[in-house]
Amino acid sequence: MASSIAVAQVRPVNPALQFLKIVPGVLLLAAVGYAGKLLEANVGKYAKAHHWTFPNIEYVLWAILLGLAISNTVGVPEIFRAGVATYEFWLKAGIVLLGARFLLGDVLKLGGTSLALVGIEIVGAIAFMTFLGRVFGLKPKLTSLLAVGSAVCGVSAIIATQGAIEADEEDSSFAIAAILALGALSLFTFPLIGHALHLNDHAYGVWSGLAVDNTAEAAAAGGLYSDAAGKLAVLTKTTRNALIGFVVLAYAFYWASRGQAQAVGNKAKFLWQKFPKFVLGFLIISTLATAAFFSKEQIGALANLSRWAFLLTFAGVGLRTNFKALSKQGLKPFAVGAIGEVAIAGFTLGLVLAAQRIFGW
Amino acid sequence: MSEQRQALAPVKQRGFSIDAWAVLLAFVLAALVRAGVFKHIPW
Repeated sequence: MASSIAVAQVRPVNPALQFLKIVPGVLLLAAVGYAGKLLEANVGKYAKAHHWTFPNIEYVLWAILLGLAISNTVGVPEIFRAGVATYEFWLKAGIVLLGARFLLGDVLKLGGTSLALVGIEIVGAIAFMTFLGRVFGLKPKLTSLLAVGSAVCGVSAIIATQGAIEADEEDSSFAIAAILALGALSLFTFPLIGHALHLNDHAYGVWSGLAVDNTAEAAAAGGLYSDAAGKLAVLTKTTRNALIGFVVLAYAFYWASRGQAQAVGNKAKFLWQKFPKFVLGFLIISTLATAAFFSKEQIGALANLSRWAFLLTFAGVGLRTNFKALSKQGLKPFAVGAIGEVAIAGFTLGLVLAAQRIFGW
Repeated sequence: MSEQRQALAPVKQRGFSIDAWAVLLAFVLAALVRAGVFKHIPW
């Protein structure tokens, strides 16, 4: 995830000034997202009134397409960039609020199934990416970064691992570019494959959460299919995110044992530092909803707040994706990432189809 | 990509992380909904 990009742009300056700096970009996110929502509501109506055949395109795709159009034509002017980088912040707030739509029992049940699938996915993805990195002759630490990025959690996992294994910044940039480019491609390919295979919302949502690496793209890929698929994609991806600390810790141990990174001192502190706190927030809100702390109307209101937060996120996914910049990052890491992602997508699809049979989704 | 390179420079965090701020905002919004300040959120 690109959260660290947003974090990194925050410099120790006057907080009020910092706040003012993000306002234009947040307004741009809101404008692009809302335009997507208006297009969803009106394009279909217009087409119907004129007897045109036009597919029903959801606001998620409109918002992403509008963002992509801006980013890849006129570009995002400097004044908006700090605010656009906050899209991950809205994503995390949206996920916490989404907790209101899950009863804790469902979270534990779905999360338990997801956890088993995530465990298999992580082991398989790391093993395969490591193998590919060796075949293509990539630097070992770059291979580690690509493996973590594709196995767990995209950009945030790469940045967390970079610090822990003392990898080069250049390697991290390569790995991040590969993961971002492939995440953007998944937005267009996953729904097509899902429809072609007639996957139901449950199976498709779990598959998106397992196979798409960046949380924003996973949520978007799920949301592009249906609201229910989006919910499950977020839950499955959140389960993956929860494991980030363990994977980074394992890599830190591995590189420290080879004398190429500092040894980890306090392991519990390390795990807590790497643990995504929004996962806890999600569970707390879910627990409160289960305990009837919120009325039905209030849960509806929280769900809508979550949707507004995701709207800003989806606009940000389009606005921060610049294909020209991503294509400059070199072919080899991208090739390894692409081959690995296709294999992981196929592998996780097989897992999901098997789970669908076993659990009767 | 220069933005990403900048991003990868070690950042010493002061106070809350972005994660924690996002959780805090969500909790505040949930509390306001629970207290009836926001009765209906349209979509």
